[in-house]
Amino acid sequence: MTPTLTRAKSRSAASHQSPRMARWRGPLVAWAFLAPALVLFLYFKFIPMITGLVMSFQEIRYIDTTWVGFDNYAAILSDDAFLTAIWHSAVLAIGTTVGSLLLGFCFALLIEGPAKYLWFIRTAAFLPVVTTMAAVAEVWRIMYYPGDTGLLNTILGWVALGPQPFLASEDTSLLSIMGMSIWRGTPYDMMVFLAGLVGIDRTLYEASAVDGASVWRRLRHITLPALRPVFWILFTLAAIRGLRVFVEVYVLTNGGPNGSSEVLMTLIYKLGFQSGELGIASAGGIVLFAATLVLTVGVQLMRRRQAA
Amino acid sequence: MKFDSALGLEMRRGPLAVLFKIVIYAGMVLIFAGPLFGLLVSAFNKTLDPTSFSFWPDEFTLDNFVQAGNRNVYLYLFNSFVVVGFGLLLQVLVSVFAAYSLARKKFKGMSLVMLIMLATMMLPEEIIAIPLSLVLADMPLLNVNLIGTYAGMILPVGAWGFSILVMTEFMKEVPVELEESARLDGAGELRTFFTIILPLCRPALGVIGVFGFTMIWDQYLLPLIVAPESDMWTLPIALRSLRGDEEVGLGVLLAATLLALLPSIIAFLAFQKQFMRGLTSGAVKG
Amino acid sequence: MSRSVLGVAIATALTVTLTGCGSGGSESATDDALEIWIRQAPDSDSHKTAQKLADGFTKASGIKTKVVALLDDFETKLQQQAAQKDLPDIVINDTAQIGNMQTQGWLREVDKASLAGSDKVSETAWKAATASDGKTWGAPFSSQAFAIIARKDWREKLGLEVPKTWDDLAALAKAFTEKDPDGNGKADSAGLLIPASTKRGYASWYASSFIYANGGDFVTSSGTGTFGATMNDTKTVEAVQWLQDQFCDAKTVNPGAVNNDTAVTHEVFENNQGGLYLTGPYVLARFAGSIGTDKIEVFPVPKGPSGGPGTLGEGENVYLMAGSQNEDGQKKFAEYAISAEGQRIGMNKDANGAIVRLPVNTEVDLAAERQDPRWQVFQDAYANAVYAPPVPNWAPIRQSSADALNAVWADCGKDVKTEMEAANTKLTQELQNQKAS
Repeated sequence: MTPTLTRAKSRSAASHQSPRMARWRGPLVAWAFLAPALVLFLYFKFIPMITGLVMSFQEIRYIDTTWVGFDNYAAILSDDAFLTAIWHSAVLAIGTTVGSLLLGFCFALLIEGPAKYLWFIRTAAFLPVVTTMAAVAEVWRIMYYPGDTGLLNTILGWVALGPQPFLASEDTSLLSIMGMSIWRGTPYDMMVFLAGLVGIDRTLYEASAVDGASVWRRLRHITLPALRPVFWILFTLAAIRGLRVFVEVYVLTNGGPNGSSEVLMTLIYKLGFQSGELGIASAGGIVLFAATLVLTVGVQLMRRRQAA
Repeated sequence: MKFDSALGLEMRRGPLAVLFKIVIYAGMVLIFAGPLFGLLVSAFNKTLDPTSFSFWPDEFTLDNFVQAGNRNVYLYLFNSFVVVGFGLLLQVLVSVFAAYSLARKKFKGMSLVMLIMLATMMLPEEIIAIPLSLVLADMPLLNVNLIGTYAGMILPVGAWGFSILVMTEFMKEVPVELEESARLDGAGELRTFFTIILPLCRPALGVIGVFGFTMIWDQYLLPLIVAPESDMWTLPIALRSLRGDEEVGLGVLLAATLLALLPSIIAFLAFQKQFMRGLTSGAVKG
Repeated sequence: MSRSVLGVAIATALTVTLTGCGSGGSESATDDALEIWIRQAPDSDSHKTAQKLADGFTKASGIKTKVVALLDDFETKLQQQAAQKDLPDIVINDTAQIGNMQTQGWLREVDKASLAGSDKVSETAWKAATASDGKTWGAPFSSQAFAIIARKDWREKLGLEVPKTWDDLAALAKAFTEKDPDGNGKADSAGLLIPASTKRGYASWYASSFIYANGGDFVTSSGTGTFGATMNDTKTVEAVQWLQDQFCDAKTVNPGAVNNDTAVTHEVFENNQGGLYLTGPYVLARFAGSIGTDKIEVFPVPKGPSGGPGTLGEGENVYLMAGSQNEDGQKKFAEYAISAEGQRIGMNKDANGAIVRLPVNTEVDLAAERQDPRWQVFQDAYANAVYAPPVPNWAPIRQSSADALNAVWADCGKDVKTEMEAANTKLTQELQNQKAS
């Protein structure tokens, strides 16, 4: 916050306008720059969201839509399937986030450096991130084929492991989806870490090397603290995304077998579009939105406290 | 002593270290790029096993792509390009403007705006799809119908919280002194922005360019609700339809999947040079 | 200052203009064309047949049409159109969707008596156009019954007979699994191919033919508009148990079946990975082409040990949607669709893309339209076909029964009787929610 303040001060000192003009000039310019984004958000996010909020209190029918108060919320919150889906979503979000962060960090350390050939490896490793989810999930669905002929089962066969059911079993379906999500999330985290690593002041390492600090100490005392903001960004983004996973699950298992991988979004989607219960689906969506908001604000507050 | 890597691992040389590195690197390439390579080969393969990928074509064929053409996949590809082209341009512009404001200005309500940005990222799209279609069919105050227009697919992706946040974080790093000196030279707000700030943010532009491309390319529900008929579809919708289509086989689906993957990969490779150059010359930030 | 603000304004205007350039799309003006939606993949052979049907209608009636084909996103788009209060005029969709669409108030009632040619349509088909309230909410368009498409070459090679009982069927499946019928030296062929995923309730969809063939059911009518769940019925349990044995003990089902939808299972069949595929007649032309027409045969689902015969009956109705500006055109289209001419166009001879699988119009002679005699097997099976009961909303019942079935097949440790009891409780609950219990 402090640099911003000094910036603001020096700016007003620099401009040769009356102090009063300068006082409202700054905010006006700021809002003008923000305007395009805010207008687009208003139209395409907030107005639909408010409409969705209204729908969550209604039973939607073509001819006579009726106001049902909190009935939809009562229906969704007392639905066992919804509660199970929350649990599945949370497990998937946490597993994917932690897995991707850890692996991404390790890989980032391994392939960091200016060497030319590293570019090739980074590029190749980064491919999963820029690929269309629907397409990638299709690829993994085939790789996860549960028979002995499936690609991953063939590989398991080489190391003398029996064929796994992957998506076909209630016990492993969620884990298998997590595996794919980690595969797709790791290179992204890795890349952001790499960008963060570049920003670390190298003279600190030289100093610590002179002091004879071990690799582990360098990691703990220089690298990790310097990457803290990066961790927060990644964590927040992952939490937001994690709870909303949809395409992965939809393409891979569609929530099965026997609901063992049903997550919030697939459940809500089915309610809204296949069963035609738009009101209940909207209520579920609002609950999800509120939960994510609370979670994210919580993370932000923690971040502030840590920074302070 | 020179430190190339963050942990100084570069200092170790010798046959074992080299071998270790080769194994690690090869493993990484295999894990992350291997599945996509399998897709590439399978899409050109004649005899397909629905249970596994082939990593070497038994019989090379373009049949799958010809059949994909019969299903209008190339039209969907074209639509995807139109949407991603204009959508990305708009998104990047909107993002840098908003980020400039958030990173360099101080004003009342800034935390609220940041929260709004975050909130937009939390909205489950599947929930707002139906309400969004109502907005698009009759824009409040404007009374314009965007259903059935490319604009209907482009404008809603014009502002993306993620892009704005990434850009904001980067812009905070740009040293204030440059901006100040420009201002002392009498440069206006926009000129300072375009000549000083933006060029310094080039690495970030690479980042939001690549992710923006993928995000727009990935859009599924939005083009679905905007397109009145299949002639305005984009590739992700077509993928879903082909998947359930019992008249065509897996080959066509894989061919379309490949077509859906390639452009974002190519876009990544194109932006990546700038992205990487920015990274390695990242000393500006140190 | 004013300069920078002006600059921002210009930049914003520029962005708007730029995006405006992108909008040249095919703005479909609200014209008087009758909008017909069909649940088929765009540009598929079926879509083309639907277009032919619409063209024939235009020629006969002078009413212009617009055909929209949509597959997996059909329901999503329909929800959207409903929200915009702009439903299409005609929807050609599953008979099982009748309750769902009717409860949402999307349909117009059909006056059977005033519909020209309605007396030519079979009674079974009309029943599938009747909702739980006993009223007719659509015009029958196509029907189909399920039978087993099998590898004749494999069966003959192993010297086995066409199965007449479930034991025969189990034996044939076992032989296909264990005796390497394709002779490639690998144990890579299965007996039964089952799309047992929970997606859209496929597991339940598949199992219903066996359940009906044993005299069981998911839900039975207990008076006008009221229903009772019967998933714990001994005949139902017996059929599910038989299928679990195939999955778990005999292991004659293709690996990964619990995760496969029909699209994948078709591929598996075409890839010589299994020999017995219980499915509808709509894929016959495809398999005849891809596998070889003399390699496949069709036989009815054998009668179960405790009942039958029976098999799943399905079909499509022509639904007249609410809020249409062209009610007369809707009625005329329905009349054309059930007429002998409309039915023939929809049948599309022996080729792919038959949107009329089995004709609902009794005046149409199947054998005269289609050369392939195997169609007749499906036609004969239709005599014993059982349709899903007209509960207000069938989709959740199919979904929840599919979840239970998928569970006992995926997890061999699960007891069928216990699970079916649990599923029955769920179905009862669901029927209560639908106020149909």
